[in-house]
Amino acid sequence: MRRRMRAVLVAVSAAAALMVTTTQAAEKPIKIGIIGPMAFVQGENHWAGAELARDEINKAGGIKVGSQKHPIEIVKVDSNEIQSVPDATNAMERALTQDKVDFVIGGFRTEAVLAMQDVAMDYKKIFLGVGAAHEQLGLRVQQNYDRYKYWFRIAPIKSGDLGKVLFAGLGAIAAQIRNDLGKPVPKVAIVAEKAVWVESIVKAAQDNLPKMKMEVVGVWQPSPVATDVTAELSAIRRAGADLVFTAISGPVGIVMGRQMGELQIPAIPFGINVEAQKEGFWQATAGKGNYVSTLDTYGEGVEITPQTLPFVNAFKKRFGKPPTYTASTYDAMYALRAAVETAGTIDADKLVPVLEKTDLVGAAGRLVFDKLHDPVFGPGYVTGLAVQWQDGKKVAFWPNNWNGVTYKGVQTFKIPPQMMQKKN
Amino acid sequence: MRALIYPIRRAYILLRTEVFALPSRAVVFLFSLALLLLPLYSTDPYVLRIVIMTCVFAIFAASWDLLAGYTGQVNFGHALFFGIGAYASSLLNYHFQLSPWITIPIGAISAMLGGILVGIPCLRLRGSYLSLATLAFPLILIGLLFAFPGFSGGELGISGIQRLFTYPVHNYYAAVILMLVLCFAMWKIGDSNTGLIFHAIREDEVAARASGINTKRYKLLAFGLSGLFAGIAGAFFAHFIRIAGPSTLEVALSFQAVIWGIFGGVATIYGPVVAVFILYPLTEAVAVFPALREYRLLILAIVVLLVLLFMPQGLTPWLRNKIETVCRRCKNRNVFWRRECRVCGTELH
Amino acid sequence: MFQDILITGLVNGGVYALLAVGFSLIFGVARIVNIAHTAFYMLAAYLVYAFLNIAGLPLLVSVILAVGLVTALSMVCYKLVIEPVREYESAVLIATIALALIFQESLLLTFGGNFLGSPTLIAGNMDVAGVRVTYQQLLTIVVVALVLAGTWFLLHKTRLGLAIRATANDLEVANLMGMNVGRIAMYTVAISVALAAIAGVVVAPLFVVDPLMWLAPLVTMLAIVVLGGLGSLKGSLIGAFIIAYVEAITVFTVPAGSFLKGAVALSIMVVVLLIRPEGLFGVAFEEER
Repeated sequence: MRRRMRAVLVAVSAAAALMVTTTQAAEKPIKIGIIGPMAFVQGENHWAGAELARDEINKAGGIKVGSQKHPIEIVKVDSNEIQSVPDATNAMERALTQDKVDFVIGGFRTEAVLAMQDVAMDYKKIFLGVGAAHEQLGLRVQQNYDRYKYWFRIAPIKSGDLGKVLFAGLGAIAAQIRNDLGKPVPKVAIVAEKAVWVESIVKAAQDNLPKMKMEVVGVWQPSPVATDVTAELSAIRRAGADLVFTAISGPVGIVMGRQMGELQIPAIPFGINVEAQKEGFWQATAGKGNYVSTLDTYGEGVEITPQTLPFVNAFKKRFGKPPTYTASTYDAMYALRAAVETAGTIDADKLVPVLEKTDLVGAAGRLVFDKLHDPVFGPGYVTGLAVQWQDGKKVAFWPNNWNGVTYKGVQTFKIPPQMMQKKN
Repeated sequence: MRALIYPIRRAYILLRTEVFALPSRAVVFLFSLALLLLPLYSTDPYVLRIVIMTCVFAIFAASWDLLAGYTGQVNFGHALFFGIGAYASSLLNYHFQLSPWITIPIGAISAMLGGILVGIPCLRLRGSYLSLATLAFPLILIGLLFAFPGFSGGELGISGIQRLFTYPVHNYYAAVILMLVLCFAMWKIGDSNTGLIFHAIREDEVAARASGINTKRYKLLAFGLSGLFAGIAGAFFAHFIRIAGPSTLEVALSFQAVIWGIFGGVATIYGPVVAVFILYPLTEAVAVFPALREYRLLILAIVVLLVLLFMPQGLTPWLRNKIETVCRRCKNRNVFWRRECRVCGTELH
Repeated sequence: MFQDILITGLVNGGVYALLAVGFSLIFGVARIVNIAHTAFYMLAAYLVYAFLNIAGLPLLVSVILAVGLVTALSMVCYKLVIEPVREYESAVLIATIALALIFQESLLLTFGGNFLGSPTLIAGNMDVAGVRVTYQQLLTIVVVALVLAGTWFLLHKTRLGLAIRATANDLEVANLMGMNVGRIAMYTVAISVALAAIAGVVVAPLFVVDPLMWLAPLVTMLAIVVLGGLGSLKGSLIGAFIIAYVEAITVFTVPAGSFLKGAVALSIMVVVLLIRPEGLFGVAFEEER
């Protein structure tokens, strides 16, 4: 009888324990919407970076809000923004009201992100931008803080700062040209796609390059979606340029890389070439994009912070290719976790001041926000990388002793062989 | 008391003899009523947003029909008017802080002027030449916008413009009422004397001219009116999503208008509206199912193709012919079960 | 600069001509405005890519397979989709738009939105009059010349060509003369799409392959055929070179305005239409009913 009593007791307590654990496991998850053009590489990386962070965080028990631990649930939101802006705003509204997400991370095409930003702000939801570089997004925070304070940009650094990185990288390459080719004043052709974001960069280039002892031989502005730049390249070759300074985000970047290689234009392409940041660039140029160099966020084997290599390696292992910059959703998730755990709430208004004080060593650098909710750029913060395609591999070559910053794993920049004929 | 009863009686008679006499009209009436009552049932902002977008594109598609369907000027660059409306109203709102109540009409008028301006060279063109030439105009405008980024915002467009209303429900009613009023107006135009001349120009321009009709003037009128309505849609759209960018001028949007118009049935006004109300929410509904999200455009294209194979004149004429018969003598429409015409009493079958 | 413009215009004009001639042919014969024309071109580019890079087939086999498959597919599409609605001009138009969208989305779903690169058929480059040209570009010009000559031969020296030209001239009379107009239309579709497919195959290595690549050449091609006169093969050929030279002149004289080359080309088209509403070599249609 007694034994039976005990058995019942054990069973009851076990059941009770089970119930407790199940209620704990069924703790309401924190829902995060990952928004991006999911049929395209940018969206794929948005999602992949977020998946990686979700699994790591959930494996560690989830996000601690107060005393409770909540798992993370990520929701895939296809904005289709490359093809349609209204689709993007609809997707944002759907995520916020139908999927009822607590936070949104992502975005890529600026025209669409501006529209989506407004929708998110209408609902006072925190929107962490990963993908659009335009300064306007941050300026809105300054102009109307109460409305736009829920917006933070995680990556990339804003376009003005990208310009600073460009000149630093350009200086390094010019030094190498002077040294190896004996050309005291390298000639630079500026090739910028016709877009607003390049304007400040083109203007700064025209002002700064002569001061940096370089000569600007011309500015070419093809359409971001041009499918052929042989005409531009012929003109550049005729102008005798040693450097082709690019500011390109569209597919014309691939065309540039490929046709430069095929025509063996004796000049070094360097600048922003978003397509050249992608792993698919080598394939897309059929291997002709050798020596093309660009700014980037991650590089294989490059240790920006202690977090970088574990992230890049885990990413590559799981998805079969290294991350591009929209995979910074990974850092965004960790920034969010840190803020929620410090604030002890997922209430957006209470989270904003905490997020503003973010100081997180992420995979892309040390993330600290400025007044515009943009990531602070500079040595010791986020710097970005400059990479060059060398025989099918993307190799980082900058920062190499820039203001005291050298990342482990950076290698030397290679001057294309066809340049060597120009040696004086 | 009588004063009150009279209008109610009038309305009742009008409803019974003019609206409920025909199933198609009854459907339109009930559907409009349902749209107006929807917020009582649900104020879900997502649902409201989809209906608002649907309304905007319904006006846009109907305005294409006024030009392409009625007058036969098959415009392949209809996004031009949408974009002009959106850009004009956004620029005024952004630079001069004019209220949307002023900028939307100005945007519409700019689009109307744009319509007339484009119409002038198009007077000399016909058929496929006209279609393909009109395709060029929005693309030339995009080129200009990119050439003057300080003015147009380049690829970003004009953002940060004011909304018409703050609350979704208010915006909802604005959109629905605007759509109902404008589409009814367009339908009335199509039914009027002017509409008849538009039909004549499409069917045989030489004959119309021979009958003493100044076809040039009427073609320009069609361009202007179509531009006006599309401009209202564009301006309202810009103030709703709060950005006017180059995507409002894209080829894809122009093609969208052609698809909606032909899918619904041309020269009807209600056809394109029905098409938008079916296709736009359908693509969104498909997007709600995660497994189908990436397939939505494919599904849309296949649906359009299948419908066209079975109803080459479009959806609404096919449906209408199933439920209504035309009187052989007076050309009035009747419910299919009637044995004699409701107007002249001729035997129908 | 002069020789730059000369060579660049020649290379691009050849590619445009290949697309425009095919499009013009099917319009002239069957009055079909085939919006999906460049979508077939895209399909061929993708197929070559897939056969070469994924299936690892030899170059020549891939090229022949790609052109053959796309041509066969076009006949199937014609039978299934276009022919049933032939009498409704607007339905034909929208059916071709829908077809193009179906191709675009299918490729997007199969290959993703990535940009892909087809390997060059012949590697290397040479200087022509001081302008550097790749062998691939030279090959393109040669192929274009051969294909256009072949098309001319087919149209003017064979019975099928005679039938096609007769149908283009007067569809009803050709029908009364006992020609199977429906079948001739199908053959014309096949020839026209084969031209597009060949263009896709030779051009793919010059450009980038992606699911939206059909839109930009579509607009250029439409501008060319309207400029040259719808249905006129000679017009399309000359129009192609006019547009190509206008674009080249824009890029070389206004480097900072090279994004405008498309807009300038379209403006030229509008100007030509204002002066000659039927295009350069189109048939006057003033009193046509």
